[in-house]
Amino acid sequence: MMPRPCKSILKNTALVAAFSIAGWAETASARDHLYGALDNPDLLNCETQRWSSRPGEADKCYRALQSLEYPPLVRAEAFWALGDLQNANTAFQTAQNAEPENAEVRLRWGELFMQTFQYQEAYNLFAEALELDPENAYAHIGAAGALAQGDNGEEVNAHMMTVVENALAPAGARLRGLVMMSRSAMQQDRYEDAREILDEAQELAQENALPRMELNALEAALAFMTHQPHEQFVEAALAEAPGYGDAWAIPAYFADITRRYRECGEFYGKAIEVQPDHWEAHLELGVNQLRQNQVSIAREHVQIAYEGDPFNPKTVNMLRLLDTFIEDMQVLNFPDPPQGPFPTLELRLDKKETGILTNYARELAMDSINLYRERYRFEPKAPVIVEIYPNHEDFVVRSIGMPGVGILGVTFGYLFAMDSPIAHPRGESYHWGTTLWHEMAHVFTLEASNHLVPRWYSEGISVFEEWRTGPIPGRKIPNNVLQAMAQGKFLSIAELDDGFMRPTYEDQVIVSYMQAGLVFEFIDIEYGFDKIVDMLYLFRDGISPVEAIEQVMEISVRDFDRHFKQFIDIEYGPMLSSMGVWQEDHRASYAALEEENWEEAVAAAERANFVYPDYVEVDSPYIAMARAYSRLGDEENEFLTLQTFWEKGGYAPRALLALADRYIERDMQDQAHEVLKDVIWADPYNQELHVKLGDLYLERNQPKEALEEFRVLLALDPVDKAAANLRMARAYQALNDMDGTMEYLMTALDIAPQYRDAQMMLLELSRTTE
Amino acid sequence: MANRTLPSLCCFVALLPSLSQAALYITIVQGLGGQPEYDSEFTESREKIEAASHSMTAAENISSFNGESASRENLLKHFADITARMNEDDRAAIYLVGHGSFDGETYKFNIPGPDLSDTDLKNILENFPGQNHFLVNTSSTSGAMLESIVGEGEEASNPDYIIVSATRNGNERNSTHFGRFFADALTNEEADLNKNSTVSIEEAFDFATRSVESYFEEAGRLSTEHAQLRGDGAAQFSLSRLSEIQIESENPVINDLLQQRLALDAEIENLQLRRNQMSNAEYIQQLQALVLRSAELSERIENQQGSAAP
Repeated sequence: MMPRPCKSILKNTALVAAFSIAGWAETASARDHLYGALDNPDLLNCETQRWSSRPGEADKCYRALQSLEYPPLVRAEAFWALGDLQNANTAFQTAQNAEPENAEVRLRWGELFMQTFQYQEAYNLFAEALELDPENAYAHIGAAGALAQGDNGEEVNAHMMTVVENALAPAGARLRGLVMMSRSAMQQDRYEDAREILDEAQELAQENALPRMELNALEAALAFMTHQPHEQFVEAALAEAPGYGDAWAIPAYFADITRRYRECGEFYGKAIEVQPDHWEAHLELGVNQLRQNQVSIAREHVQIAYEGDPFNPKTVNMLRLLDTFIEDMQVLNFPDPPQGPFPTLELRLDKKETGILTNYARELAMDSINLYRERYRFEPKAPVIVEIYPNHEDFVVRSIGMPGVGILGVTFGYLFAMDSPIAHPRGESYHWGTTLWHEMAHVFTLEASNHLVPRWYSEGISVFEEWRTGPIPGRKIPNNVLQAMAQGKFLSIAELDDGFMRPTYEDQVIVSYMQAGLVFEFIDIEYGFDKIVDMLYLFRDGISPVEAIEQVMEISVRDFDRHFKQFIDIEYGPMLSSMGVWQEDHRASYAALEEENWEEAVAAAERANFVYPDYVEVDSPYIAMARAYSRLGDEENEFLTLQTFWEKGGYAPRALLALADRYIERDMQDQAHEVLKDVIWADPYNQELHVKLGDLYLERNQPKEALEEFRVLLALDPVDKAAANLRMARAYQALNDMDGTMEYLMTALDIAPQYRDAQMMLLELSRTTE
Repeated sequence: MANRTLPSLCCFVALLPSLSQAALYITIVQGLGGQPEYDSEFTESREKIEAASHSMTAAENISSFNGESASRENLLKHFADITARMNEDDRAAIYLVGHGSFDGETYKFNIPGPDLSDTDLKNILENFPGQNHFLVNTSSTSGAMLESIVGEGEEASNPDYIIVSATRNGNERNSTHFGRFFADALTNEEADLNKNSTVSIEEAFDFATRSVESYFEEAGRLSTEHAQLRGDGAAQFSLSRLSEIQIESENPVINDLLQQRLALDAEIENLQLRRNQMSNAEYIQQLQALVLRSAELSERIENQQGSAAP
């Protein structure tokens, strides 16, 4: 293939659409209808057969076109239609060599690259076609489709409008443009706009005798999204093209992006019944089955997708993940055996992590399930499945099919997947306990609303639960969100979903998370928690958030926004007005620390804490202050500072471990225990934590709990193995388990025969048993 | 009277025949700091190493160089002198504490006047009689010295001596943290993983490597140094003793007990070498019996010492 210069226009293809039409590629990978892009009569004859018959019935017609008597461009199309992409590519190359000035060759070659997910190459070809023929409407549409994989919305729209607003453009190209626009409108929940665009497209198709099966598939999707009957539109599409799998796959896509996974799976299943070689439908069906815990059948469909279309990187990623999933993951049910028809909880952990995370994940998951059951008046009707991945990219592929995306957890219904604490570098601020708590809340809000809860509502409740009932309660609002608050960037409640789905500035998603959490703080304080749950159940009937607020809270959205703003002003107004001062003092406290000016570090941190005493992120002024006190030798103030930091919800592991030491020194064992338990939810891989906690349990005569901590310590492959084994022996001794005691004591002595403490224990035991 | 002490009980069997004759010659060289904070850090490390070295060998076998005394001429003469004094059973340990440089071809350890080159260091090691000598170079770019002495990649040879460098190669040019952690290890019980109250090269290396990793992790920075260890026997070569381990006493009763315990410790090591020749249950049973006897002896020694105390 001719080397092509790379114009780097396409960025991260895995990101959720930041602009209007990124979803286009979801179904663009199959060879679409020509919509009049080519006019060779023999080719069009085959095309007519293809779309009007069952899959495979037009193959004979296409095979005839492979003859050398046909132009290379027609042969390329024939190879492509028959699934022979390599020969199609070669034929396009030949066609280009034969007709270097023919824009159609580059246009169609570009479409082939689109099918093989090489969007940059595709764009380059569309751009070359436009150089040869600047008015080529199909090339404009192709360029828009390729650019839609990146984040260059303005260029996409420019190409699109060049065609759609040009009455002289070929009707087929305009129809393609309208199809893309209607899809985009639906992705943005702009159903009325989508309706208008589809009406225009239907009229255009009718006037020009263009195919309507894709329009009908979109009609079906729109009907589904707006809770109307959709089957008649699918039937119409299939009546026109009996082998048109997209008749179901397009509605399936929209079910997917709105988290209606049951319908999504059902629709994709129907798509492959209609069109068994719809490889993307196989893949998405597999992905969806994996969300619903059907691992074996999921793998079958992903494998079929791979064999049919090995070019799709999402398929390749998913296959790799499934191999990992099957080989490396261990399934643990709780209770085991179940006390009802199914276990309450199914944990899926990497085998390397079961010795470390099982007890902690179980404790947190069961606590959250029991709490949410009560709070959301919902009894789970299936086991809650929690998958924890030690490799972040595995988790992301499992969640959205493509690596490279910065998410921590994803909930699909009764199943959620999340990053393990080891998936992030130690020292980062990843708090896995909070992530688990957050995702578990999604399980309840999704299932209680039959998956019809709006995104902001579900996220808001999850954040609210983090703050109210999570492992480290307390509002935690990052610095960048405070700045956004100060700049008045919060959205109206009616538009809050846009902040998640269609962010317009870099931090808007996280700002929207925090705003949504604060909305529920506001509702809870001003109207009572029951209102939150009452509204949640209304979504089951397809009621919009605006209607739910008006119905349950008996207040208009405008008044709601106004009251919420007053709430924010009261809660954060004074702090936000001093934001600049706080930022300066915050910065100054760490700068002074760096300069070893301990007195100034304390003073600056004190000033910062006075303005905003609840800021307890890992760069909290409390941390700077405690370190400075420590360097000043002021142990009492160091202790008091660390204690305040922890009581306000601070979770920085090193600070909490230091606080636990201070508590132990003061014989405040209960507090030390609570602090150390909190470190588990932040950094369970910390060996020092398990030593301290296990020793504390032994001290408190809780040998069973001590044993569990020392087991985790051993699972972490500690540096000092002899000491870890001796601790195990001591815990077993406290449990009067001599076999266990001797097993671990002798392991310690095998590692370190001259280990005096272990020798003494052996001596003592030998005398006791004599 | 002064008690004689063993370098490391774990290598008792291997070293026992030559204990009475073998000597350990320790040389510590503090290079140029260039800035007061480095001068201070290097001095602190050198002093720690000196103190730890006194737990391992006679004072006359410890040589320490810093400032003007650490010139190439002085050092080459010193190494020639101890080479002449050493016999086949003796061992040498060299600590280089300071900065290094690498110009793409030659590594140099920075000292007043002409620097010590990688070739100088290789010659020094190769001229020592016997084998199992030890050199630790804590400087930046010291990996280049390692590559120069033992070769690179697949061409690297397994040297007859043990070499530790603070960096992977000559491209790691930032001033290093490895040296101060290596010096710390010599007096830190956390480094003594086999709990035999001595710190071996391997233990000190592991401790320092872990400490460097933690340092960079806590600072939230990518590590700019990756220490290397080459050669066999690092676990058996002790660098410091954390507490006195008696092997002789004027009290004949204690002396007898000490000898019995030494013999038992040797038996334990011998048993561990033979563990694959027996079932695990049999091994554990024998180990338990030996360790128990060793523990009893230790207790009797302590009791005797307690009753003998004024």
